[in-house]
Amino acid sequence: MKEKLIEFKNVSFAYEADGEAVPETKDALKGVNLDIYKGEFLAVLGHNGSGKSTLAKLCNAIYEPTEGTVSVKGIIPDTEEKADEVRRIVGMVFQNPDNQIVATIVEDDVAFGPENLGIEPKEIRKRVDEALKSVNMYELRHREPHKLSGGQKQRVAIAGVIAMQTDCIVLDEPTAMLDPKGRDEVMQTIQRLNKELGITIVLITHFMDEAVQADRVAVMNSGRIVMQGSPREVFAQNEKLNECGLDLPQSTELCKRLGIKDTVLNASECVEKIISMLGGAV
Amino acid sequence: MSYVIEAKGLSHCYSKGTNQQVYAVKDIDFSVEKGELIGIIGHTGSGKSTLISHFNGLLKPSSGQILVNGTDIWKDKETLHNSRFQVGLCFQYPEYQLFEETVFRDIAFGPKNMKLSENEIKERVLRAADYAGVKKEHLDKSPFDLSGGEKRRAAIAGVMAMEPEVIIFDEPAAGLDPKGRKDLIKLIRDYRERTGSAIIIVSHSMEDMASLADRIYVMNGGEIAMQGTVDEVYSQGEKLRSMGLNVPEITEIFASLRAKGIDVPANVYTVEQGTEILKKLMGRCSS
Repeated sequence: MKEKLIEFKNVSFAYEADGEAVPETKDALKGVNLDIYKGEFLAVLGHNGSGKSTLAKLCNAIYEPTEGTVSVKGIIPDTEEKADEVRRIVGMVFQNPDNQIVATIVEDDVAFGPENLGIEPKEIRKRVDEALKSVNMYELRHREPHKLSGGQKQRVAIAGVIAMQTDCIVLDEPTAMLDPKGRDEVMQTIQRLNKELGITIVLITHFMDEAVQADRVAVMNSGRIVMQGSPREVFAQNEKLNECGLDLPQSTELCKRLGIKDTVLNASECVEKIISMLGGAV
Repeated sequence: MSYVIEAKGLSHCYSKGTNQQVYAVKDIDFSVEKGELIGIIGHTGSGKSTLISHFNGLLKPSSGQILVNGTDIWKDKETLHNSRFQVGLCFQYPEYQLFEETVFRDIAFGPKNMKLSENEIKERVLRAADYAGVKKEHLDKSPFDLSGGEKRRAAIAGVMAMEPEVIIFDEPAAGLDPKGRKDLIKLIRDYRERTGSAIIIVSHSMEDMASLADRIYVMNGGEIAMQGTVDEVYSQGEKLRSMGLNVPEITEIFASLRAKGIDVPANVYTVEQGTEILKKLMGRCSS
């Protein structure tokens, strides 16, 4: 039986303007039910304004639901203490690497989180070193963050969360501002943390080729979760995805257009299918 | 040859004369012809933003020249001032720069600074709003009441309203969902067709670049590492990867097929193109 880590029960959320709820805001959530399991890698897709970031911010009590409950390991963050507890379990990484770096030296930045948790210096040292190694940034620990590339900065931000030893990391479009190499670095880091350290990953993204790497994909539209399943199940439904303003990974789309029935998810699967289709004739 | 923008031996150096001297861009030769669509690609920190900030005089070259329509923009104060209207710069996430009370006034900000007549300003705002796909009913609204995508269009309209001879877009589609991305690419393509304006796009999206650009410059370590047509640049996948870039997934699929001895072209950049080629090949196999 899979263990639930974060549980959304009938969650609605509405933004307020001038102290009054705005009923028709696009980012609002409406009656969301979602279980996020311990150790899984969940990708959340959806067009701009579909509610993805709102969902992310509900995961570690940055927002409070207007209706329903979000619980993390059974804790409902309805007091400041409980909210703090939840934030020790679920960490966040945001889109812009420049907005989340606070220190002038890489390792100081990573130590910022654990320092705030009141952890003793010796233990902090150990955690910072381990965290930097796990994102492949240990060699650069004495560098100044502003001299790093975007992908390196994002990995420092991820290390900062790991050093707090959270069970789960929620990443809100962490690669949107990165170049191809930076995107690869961050995706490989996410994979490794998930597979090797067992950290639960929630990845909010607009890139379909990132979503195919997840164990499970949830698709949002107008504040609701409209599709859920393995990448293969979700990307088999291209029409429904199009309705949600999304598209298919290029490999998947090519095979679909060629009339290949199985849903392929990456370039090597695609090449294999095409070759078997061309058969011995070539 | 008439170039709208030309950089000649352009270098920009920080902390010049100290032992920390570092070149952000070095010995750049770069040119854009009238009506051309140029792509600039390169990893973070490769010098793309430093380069484009020279094109309308936001940065002054340490050495070398920037010519707009053949005139050095640093010739005198007036030329420099005018270059700001000839070369429109649309920054990354331009929606964060909206500030006026209404969308109309925000779009009108550039033309107003050009000291145009009220009528001319109004005409330009309406024209730019049309190019950028800003809805008429949004013009009287506060820009802060619009959605993210609508805000970005309003910001782009603000640059278009100056009717510059060239517009530079820095990562125009960053942070947009797939549909938003496609819509924006179409917007840029339509704008070019309707106005004949030259366009420079800086992007990390190799897919978007392949479908848009006439010519591409690849930057690496502050220098121009490659330049040429999409075919010329994208055929060197290994070299691109060594510079922190890549080629579209579809291009990789075709490279793998070729490596396995299947007779398909290498210069495939879109799924549509790839489908057509493979369908033909399959037709031939079955007949």
